[in-house]
Amino acid sequence: MKPSLRRRAHVNYYFLAFLASGVVLAGLVAVLAWNSIPWPNGTKQQPLVVYCAAGVKPPVDTAALDYEREYNVPVQLQYDNSQTLLAGIEIAKRGDLYIPADDFYVQKAREKGLIDETLDLARMAPVLVVKKGNPLGLHSLDDVTRKGAKLAHANPDAAAVGKVSRDTLRKSGKWDAFAKQIVVYKGTVSDVANDVRVGSVDGGIIWDALLHQYPDLEAVPLPELAGTTSHLAVAVLRCTKQPTEALRFARYLAARDRGLEYFAKMGYQPVDGDAWAETPELQVFAGAMLRPAIEQTIARFEEREGVRVTRVYNGCGILVSQMRAAETRPDAYFACDQSFMTQVKDWFDDPVAISTNQLVILVPKGNPHHIESLKDLGKPGLRLGVGHEKQCALGVLTQTTLVQGGQHDAVMKNVKVQSPTGDMLVNQLRAKSLDAVIAYVSNAAEGAGELEAIPIDVPCAVATQPVAVSKDTHYKHLAQRLLDALRSPDSRARFEANGFHWQALPR
Amino acid sequence: MPKSENRNQPGRLTGSDLPFVVGLSICGGLYVFLIVAMLTADASFTSPWHVWRALGTREIQYAIMLSLISCTITTILSLWVAVPLGYLLSRYNFAGKLIIDAIVDIPIVLPPLVIGLSLLILFQTPPGRMVEKVIPVTYAVPSVILAQFAVACAFAVRTMRVTFDQIPVRREQVALTLGCTRSQAFWWVVLPDGRRGILAAATLAWARALGEFGPILVFSGATRMKTEVLPTTVFLELSVGNLEAAVAVSLLMVLTAVAVLLLVRACGMERVA
Repeated sequence: MKPSLRRRAHVNYYFLAFLASGVVLAGLVAVLAWNSIPWPNGTKQQPLVVYCAAGVKPPVDTAALDYEREYNVPVQLQYDNSQTLLAGIEIAKRGDLYIPADDFYVQKAREKGLIDETLDLARMAPVLVVKKGNPLGLHSLDDVTRKGAKLAHANPDAAAVGKVSRDTLRKSGKWDAFAKQIVVYKGTVSDVANDVRVGSVDGGIIWDALLHQYPDLEAVPLPELAGTTSHLAVAVLRCTKQPTEALRFARYLAARDRGLEYFAKMGYQPVDGDAWAETPELQVFAGAMLRPAIEQTIARFEEREGVRVTRVYNGCGILVSQMRAAETRPDAYFACDQSFMTQVKDWFDDPVAISTNQLVILVPKGNPHHIESLKDLGKPGLRLGVGHEKQCALGVLTQTTLVQGGQHDAVMKNVKVQSPTGDMLVNQLRAKSLDAVIAYVSNAAEGAGELEAIPIDVPCAVATQPVAVSKDTHYKHLAQRLLDALRSPDSRARFEANGFHWQALPR
Repeated sequence: MPKSENRNQPGRLTGSDLPFVVGLSICGGLYVFLIVAMLTADASFTSPWHVWRALGTREIQYAIMLSLISCTITTILSLWVAVPLGYLLSRYNFAGKLIIDAIVDIPIVLPPLVIGLSLLILFQTPPGRMVEKVIPVTYAVPSVILAQFAVACAFAVRTMRVTFDQIPVRREQVALTLGCTRSQAFWWVVLPDGRRGILAAATLAWARALGEFGPILVFSGATRMKTEVLPTTVFLELSVGNLEAAVAVSLLMVLTAVAVLLLVRACGMERVA
């Protein structure tokens, strides 16, 4: 089928043009390929894909530019209404962050299993806007209906502002009258603002923060909308392949001295965010007995968030005196027992109880001394180990239990050693330098094969482990996310594998 | 080209024809007036300063470059498909021809958003994912070209089909009787006869691709400096309430389109002449 190119010395221009088009095509593809590789800064860094509701664009846009400049990480922003973005995420299952204009969509995304962490950013409120000077003289909802004003409204099924304002107006029974004046439904809040600005409608409800970019619009305060606010948050998508990078940019957006400054400048009401640090450091104090249950969870958290967590494990009494002695407090504190949280409660937010741990008598496998109850611990000649009565929750709890069980004096006669942690007691027991110890059931987890646990039948022999975030940490939200990680199902499995009883409700 | 084919000589206005021609002018002129009025309204919403400033931003320069390149690639690809397909549909009868004819029209009928959505879903299927592993398509530059191609090509095919339908088969048959193969007759007779059609198909595909937005928004996203073509720029500027810049870019598109269309037509006419 090859056509002859030459026929009576004529060149077939059509075939030449066909060949030339192939060359042009190859050339253009090469230009695109060459252009797309080093764009924008010559980094090989995977770009961060952020799905951002139209109403949140201005601050996110500015912050993204700064972030790109500062850390050389390209940020790609996709704008639309919250619902369309969510649908896109659901279908394409790609991208890194999602910033809808209302927490309703965060909730929805969470229910669909599309997101993991969320970081609060700011609040904004729906307002009715008209052209500057209020040419129709609209001052209330009654004016709107009476004067037959034409309104544009953001589609309530897709755009957050449309939904939030509709729900609010419905509550006060004003929606139907309002809806009669709507001549057009628009996809995003910006479309509504544009319509008012161009003059194709007389008014519409937009986010108050948007007034900043629309200087020729003015707000009409409506009592019906007063008090309604939307919470903005950035959510990390579960499908992200670079959670650490995504979280870093999310932290940047939610940092009070970075992203949130733009939110404030552009008319949003920012939350009290964390301070910015590329790699923030958290200090966590935790009771020694918690180490096996939380160590892996914290290590995972560090890796995922790209942060450093300094852990200090010790007897809770020691930890409390450290806190009292030093000026600085840890960012979070995980106590072995409620009593050691109460002592420092002024410095921390409300604690969350994560787990409980049962006090037991631990003896070597086979129970050579035939110990069946607290009473048997008073047998003469027994070498006994208990927690230090001041230094740790274990010791304090042991004392109360002994007193309540009516065995205090008899048992204490046999105590050869008081240790600040249950682990040390278990080691001594396994080294055969003790015959029995009173410790937590979780302490037996490590030497499970060699030890036997005998329950103590005294009601107070249970320790509850609460965790709390410091009131003056610079990283309140980050510490809160660590708490969330500690409350996750993965963490629960680790607690239970270590003999703890789970107490926390899922977040 | 034989002179006898140039039957459509421009007419001279004579007195008795006046009312008729005026009537035609009014009907047609209304539409031209509408377009000019729209452009004038656009122009009143912006200023040369805005246009100049728009031209100066890196994002818009990138969008212009990507638009011009992707449209040209789309046009070439469309012609590569449209000429053979149009020829086959015009010259041959085969089973399922009606169905293929209808399928080719689907992209013209479907809302552009649906095309974008369909492409998006296509590339989430197992074969689509395999392609993505070799060349990232979704939300990347190839998706822009694919989205433009999916729509523009249908218009090119339609145009070529009509073009070949209107070229008399006779000249081709004469070439065959004179010893040409089918292929030779195609390259030496059919294509030269269809040059205006090819030109029309090319300009239509190019213009269609330049204005394409719906599928690109869904399938390519609106990512600055990556998948941002000129209509995306208009959308992005509009979405932040920057009407002046949006209109400035729109006018820029109008100017670019008019320039390219005039250029192509001029080249085409010169050759025809």
